[in-house]
Parts: sequence; C-alpha cells; structure tokens
Amino acid sequence: MSAAFETRSEAAMTASTGEARDFFALLKPRVMSLVVVTALTGMATAPGTVHPVLAAAALLAIAVGAGASGCLNMWYDADIDALMSRTAKRPIPSGRILPSEALAFGLTLSVGSVLVLGLVANALAAAMLAFTIFFYAVVYSMWLKRWTPQNIVIGGAAGAFPPMIGEAVVTGHFGWHSLVLFAIIFLWTPPHFWALALVKSGDYARAGIPMMPNVAGPAATRRQIVLYSLIMAPVAVLPALMGFGGALYLAVSVTTGLAMIGLSLRVWRRSEGQPAVKAAYSLFGFSILYLFLLFAVLLVENGLGLMWALPVVIG
Amino acid sequence: MSEHGNRPQGPAPFSPEDMARRRRRSVALALVLGGLVIFFFVVTLVKTGPAIMNRPL
Repeated sequence: MSAAFETRSEAAMTASTGEARDFFALLKPRVMSLVVVTALTGMATAPGTVHPVLAAAALLAIAVGAGASGCLNMWYDADIDALMSRTAKRPIPSGRILPSEALAFGLTLSVGSVLVLGLVANALAAAMLAFTIFFYAVVYSMWLKRWTPQNIVIGGAAGAFPPMIGEAVVTGHFGWHSLVLFAIIFLWTPPHFWALALVKSGDYARAGIPMMPNVAGPAATRRQIVLYSLIMAPVAVLPALMGFGGALYLAVSVTTGLAMIGLSLRVWRRSEGQPAVKAAYSLFGFSILYLFLLFAVLLVENGLGLMWALPVVIG
Repeated sequence: MSEHGNRPQGPAPFSPEDMARRRRRSVALALVLGGLVIFFFVVTLVKTGPAIMNRPL
C-alpha cells in the first residue's frame, strides 16, 4: 500500500470534503443577515458618527461573530438536528462537515471577530459581542434549549443584542435607542418561533426539545403568542414617539403591528387542521418581514437622512 | 496478524471528486486570507489617518 494512500486515510479522519459553501452554511446566513440589518440600525440611530470604513469593518466583525455563534450552535446541536426534518440537511448531520471542524471554525471566528471589533471599535462593543456569542452558544444552546420551554424567550436576548453592539460601536456606551430596539426584537422572538413550533411540534418532540407547544400545549402557546404580540406592537411604535423614528416609521410600525396582532389572533382562533397550519405559517412568514421592515425603515430614515421627524413625546 | 493486517483502517481514501472539492475549499480559504490582509491594511490606514506618514524612517 502506498504512503499517499495512508496519508489520505489519516486526513479523511480529521478533515471532511466539505466545500466553502458548507462552512458558510454553518454561519446561518439568514440569521446573519438579520443581525447585519439590526446592528446597522443600532449604529444609524445612535447619537453620534463613525467613519464609514470603520462602521463597515465593525459590521463585518459583528456579522462574523453572530455567524460563529450559529456555527457553535450547530456543532452542539448536531445530534438533535439529525432528528428534525427542518435541520437534518445541515452540514454536520448530513456528514459534509466533521463536528471537530465546525468546533474549530466556530471558536476561531468567535475569537477573531471579538478581537477585530475591539481593534476597529472599542472594548465595550467587543465585550458585548463576546457576551452575545457566549449567551447564544452556551446559555441558550447548551443550557436553556433542552431544559425549559422558556428557551427561546430568554435565549431571544442573544438575537436582540446586535443593535446594542451597534450603538456601542458609535458612542462607546449603551443608550435608550438601542434598548428600545433590543426590546422590540426580544418581544418579537416568542411569537415568531412559537408559530413555527406549533407546526413543527412533532419534530421537537422527536428531538426531546421542550418547546412551548410540547410542554404547555398548543392552546396555551396560542394565547401567549397573542399576548406577546399585544405587548410587542406598541413597543415597536416607541422609536417614533422617542424621536428616532419618523412619520414613515410611525405609519409602518402601526400598520404592520396591527397586522401582526391580526395574524396572531388568527393563529389563536384557527386551532385545528390545515387552517391552523396555514395560520401559523402566515404569522411565521410575516413576522420576518415585519422585523425587516421596522429596521429597514429606521435605517433609511436615520442613515440616509430621510427623516420626516415627529414631535418627541418620550425621552 | 491477519492477511489484511497491513491495510489502513478508517474511512476510504478521497476520490478525485473529493480532492477537487478540497482544492476548491483551499482556494476559498486563500481568498479569505488575502481579503483579511487587505482588510487590516485599510483599517490601519483609516485608524491611523494622515499620521501614518509621520514617523521616523
């Protein structure tokens, strides 16, 4: 047997044949795009300015940090991902990437992104990014997810931190603007995820994840979806009342907020059969559009100077 | 030792297709590393500003 054959065999045990796109998939690109939009909005609404090149560099570091936490999540959850239809084709359960490769990739990107953010922005922003990665990879993935039905409620904080990191990049501290943006994402997470969990409860049961529909039941989950939407929609209007969202934001946040409440009520009313599935998918799909719209409008108004300002009511 | 004692254990060797995939992965990694070099160069210029030329040679 040739030496080359032995070398390749040994290599096959420590390295997969996964391609660059498989490694990119480990970063959860769709989640990363939401992080980019929310962090950029945090920067745009912050009272201050930052050099555009440094802003872009900081944004890249935040996006990579978010991707790294997604990668560590996929590494830790590979066992349960293999059991669920939604996640079975991910790079690790499908065998395209080895768990050890994903762990090394995630840890390298985590350390690298935090160091780069510290260099291009400041220590507070870097510390907050490190905490976000820790919160998502350790607190949510390793602890909350398999332990409590409040997993995505508390864990949702990880997805809500990026606007605060964005504000810290610009100002070096946290202010009310990014705290309100944090609250919007935090309150948006339960209705968004539970709409999906209602449809995929079989998947979650098979994987042993205590999602709300599996623990408290679909009826209680539907009530809580409505409750969170009722709290979230008014909170989402706050940027307009605090002066960092303009007239366009007020119109968009009110109309889409009412639509979110309407879709949540439809999920609550339609609890059986195909109409229930359709209602849950409608809410899930619209919730993504809702969050993108809110932050995109804030971004356009603040970032491009297209604000038609309203009188400040709060703050 | 059996008659198969000298055969390497573990996964099968890479096929030509696998090797091509690994090569593409290496090229992507090289591009990322090259991008990082440019990234750090540009960030250093911006952070340091005009003072980057103001140093003893």
